[in-house]
Amino acid sequence: MNAIQVAGVTVELDRVRVLHAVSCAVSSGGWLALIGPNGAGKTTLLRAVAGLLPHRGTIRVDQTDLGALRGRGRARLIAYLPQVPVLPPDLTVGEYVLLGRTPHLGYLGAPGRGDRRKAAEASEWLDVARFAGRRLGSLSGGERQRVRLARALAQEPRVLLLDEPTGDLDIGHQQQVLELIDDLRRSRGVTVVSILHDLTQASQYAGHLVLLAAGRVEAAGPPAAVLTEDLISRVYAARVTVTADPAGYPVVTAVRPPPSSQPSR
Amino acid sequence: MIHFRVSTRTLALAAAAAASAAVALAGCGSAASTPAGTASSPAASSPAAAAGSSFPVTVTASSGSVTIKAKPVRIVSLAPTATEDLYAVGAGPQVVAVDQNSDYPPGVPVTKLSGLTPNLEAIARYRPDLVISYQNANGLVTGLGKLGIPVLIEPAAATLADAYAQIGQIGQATGHLTQARRVVAAMKAQIAGYVRQAGSSHPGLTYYWELTASPFYSVTSSTFIGQIAGLFGLKSIADAADKASDGGYPELSEEYIIKAQPRIIFLADNQAADGGQTPATVAKRPGWSAIPAVQDHEVIGLNDDIASRWGPRLPQLVAEIAQAVERASG
Amino acid sequence: MIATRGRRLRPAWAYGVAVAFLVAATLVSALVGAADLNPIATITALADRIPFVHLPSGLDSLDRAVLFEIRLPRITVAIMVGGLLSVAGAGYQGVFRNPLVDSGMLGASAGAGLGATLAIVYLGSAGPSAVPVAAFAGSLAGVAMAYLSGAVGGSGTTTLLLAGVAVGLFLTAVQTYVLQRSTQDLQQVYSWLLGSLSGATWQQAGEIAPYAAVSVAIVLLHGRHLDVLSVGDEEARALGTHPGRVRLIVVAACALAAASAVAVSGLIGFVGIVVPHVVRRVAGPSYRLVLPLSLLTGAGFLVLADTLARTVVSPAELPIGVVTALVGSPVFVWILRSTNAVRT
Repeated sequence: MNAIQVAGVTVELDRVRVLHAVSCAVSSGGWLALIGPNGAGKTTLLRAVAGLLPHRGTIRVDQTDLGALRGRGRARLIAYLPQVPVLPPDLTVGEYVLLGRTPHLGYLGAPGRGDRRKAAEASEWLDVARFAGRRLGSLSGGERQRVRLARALAQEPRVLLLDEPTGDLDIGHQQQVLELIDDLRRSRGVTVVSILHDLTQASQYAGHLVLLAAGRVEAAGPPAAVLTEDLISRVYAARVTVTADPAGYPVVTAVRPPPSSQPSR
Repeated sequence: MIHFRVSTRTLALAAAAAASAAVALAGCGSAASTPAGTASSPAASSPAAAAGSSFPVTVTASSGSVTIKAKPVRIVSLAPTATEDLYAVGAGPQVVAVDQNSDYPPGVPVTKLSGLTPNLEAIARYRPDLVISYQNANGLVTGLGKLGIPVLIEPAAATLADAYAQIGQIGQATGHLTQARRVVAAMKAQIAGYVRQAGSSHPGLTYYWELTASPFYSVTSSTFIGQIAGLFGLKSIADAADKASDGGYPELSEEYIIKAQPRIIFLADNQAADGGQTPATVAKRPGWSAIPAVQDHEVIGLNDDIASRWGPRLPQLVAEIAQAVERASG
Repeated sequence: MIATRGRRLRPAWAYGVAVAFLVAATLVSALVGAADLNPIATITALADRIPFVHLPSGLDSLDRAVLFEIRLPRITVAIMVGGLLSVAGAGYQGVFRNPLVDSGMLGASAGAGLGATLAIVYLGSAGPSAVPVAAFAGSLAGVAMAYLSGAVGGSGTTTLLLAGVAVGLFLTAVQTYVLQRSTQDLQQVYSWLLGSLSGATWQQAGEIAPYAAVSVAIVLLHGRHLDVLSVGDEEARALGTHPGRVRLIVVAACALAAASAVAVSGLIGFVGIVVPHVVRRVAGPSYRLVLPLSLLTGAGFLVLADTLARTVVSPAELPIGVVTALVGSPVFVWILRSTNAVRT
């Protein structure tokens, strides 16, 4: 069963067509990684699936048409974390995570004991409960990402849409965050769609890849099918080799010929 | 960490409830205090309490009727003209406080009170039983009315008849109606005398009445001042310059004044505080030597206070104008 | 007690301090004034009004009338106006995510000024009683103009703010033109523009009470929504709210609050921008707290400012806008320095 089904989606921004009849799907509890060069339309596609952009074509989440979902209903289903967040520096971690309960509150409602408990649980799961009283402005990069994920988790979503969740993190924190997301996926059956720059990471964590270029789907399928030298070097205009690591995941490596008198190909 | 959670809804309701309770409580206070307030005036409730007075009296002023229950003995005046009127009709001993601008007759009980921005509490401190002012500013009438204090508003007079009427009203309100009538009769006689002597028809005799210099504000013949000058048949050069929005006090340019060639110039701004303009300074103004009034030395500096009030010293103003007219036409 | 190095007061403490401040300010204000009422007798007279409490008051009937008809109404109006301006300012700051926004923004002050000017200049003798209504209507009209000009779909808050500036400048220019043509009304108009609470009556308080209650209630109830807006329009939408709709409702309610205040008091600046800041420094940025605390603190602040305005040069009065700026600025700077937040 597909948690997300995107069919023939076209999006225009400022009268420029950014996505051309894009189609893809993710099964429930799966992880789809959107890859492609800068400007390919990955963020636009993610925002369209988040219900934040008008589009032509259909997007169905959990068998429901996105257009039929409104505001809070949609937010109870889908959690979206943009690439560059707005983090009010003086807000505490606890208050920020509690914002994730917004879709579950009535218009004039206030967070109740149950909401606070769920927010606290989400914070504990991401190991940020111990600095619930700290200001957002005082957190490190890794802590910030975990706090953002805690807020998304507090929403109790079925679908998690992440735009570059590894951002400026160092390699250790990148792994930590990706492991946490994968934990989430496996233990709660949350469907994940993420945009990832690092192609190797995409192959290690996502079961399904969609390669976008110039607003069109160039390839879709499991990592081994999509991450081929021909495809990647053509689409990215880069020189790469694709090998496999001990666990069998394709590893994409950038290649640089040694400086010599021979002209580069 | 203990969370103290006050739902804002609860707080909003509580605040609203507290506010309405406070307002209701104090509102009950207002209903109770008004009858007590009106009983605070001296207990001379029988009409024939004092010889020659006829209280309670209802005075009809230009701003409406005011009822005064008994002869006032603690009067507060917030207008210099009203102060002069009060003392002229013999109510001086009944006055306890006058505003900061009242300075005549000498020796009046000057205070820091202001008729421009009256402070209700400060006025109340004098426990007056009658307050006279020239404008109803800051809710003076309603505010003092809540304290049971009657307020008489005597605004700037528009005509001589107005000025006489105000003296009569103040006399009536203070129990000196007879003397007020005598004062008015004397004023009328004096003024008539000056007019007879100097003549009431002087066609072609124009004047420029200066209220301020740079910018030059003047008066038209339709204003109070203009009407007094009109007793002698004088015409103000400002008449042609007046627009509806100026209300009779237009601003004139120097060229206009010079071209209008007035025969007399009256300076109502010669006190230092008003601008310190004297015949000498006027003669020095470039281009003004072309004006007949300057050439014939018919530039007269007036007493600014007398020229800006409409009280019992009006005959002095008329006398000065009469002198100027006699000289200019002689 | 003051939060230092980024730590804040607990909500319970913050409410306690704010309420205590308001009560203390009210008490002090009730006890001082140009009428020189005996303080003990005043307290007794006030206590006597509490139900079931009967105390012989030491004040005679005139003094009691001064207390209940002149002083208390003025204090009550100060409480209402201070609270309204602070809540409006805080609400606007939440909507625009901009700490430099005041309750007079979006053409509210300029519209009120123009309304009052038109009433004074063109309505002659009916002018004085028409001024509050004209100022109220002008204020709302100003905000409506700014909103219609600036709330272009999807344009965000900057455009709206700029539209407010443009509308404000335009309305002020019209007002200046009208004044230039009738200079004899200058003094009356400017004394209104400078703001004053003298002549406040129970009737005034009663007239603005319904608008005040409705507008304040609406703004307070949207505190949580303003918190959601603080993470930006896109994430707020992702969390299920409608930023544009929330903005419209809160702006309308704040405009109503500011208009009600301006109608009875004239233009009083500084309160709407500074009080929310002080509250934020001490109690944190969450609007669920900042809004009600601003209401209480702003009320107390204006009561104190008015007390100073009417006693410092008694019997003359300082324009209250001057007092709020003169007193508020140093206090604001002191708060800024002593609650020096940790910066990353």
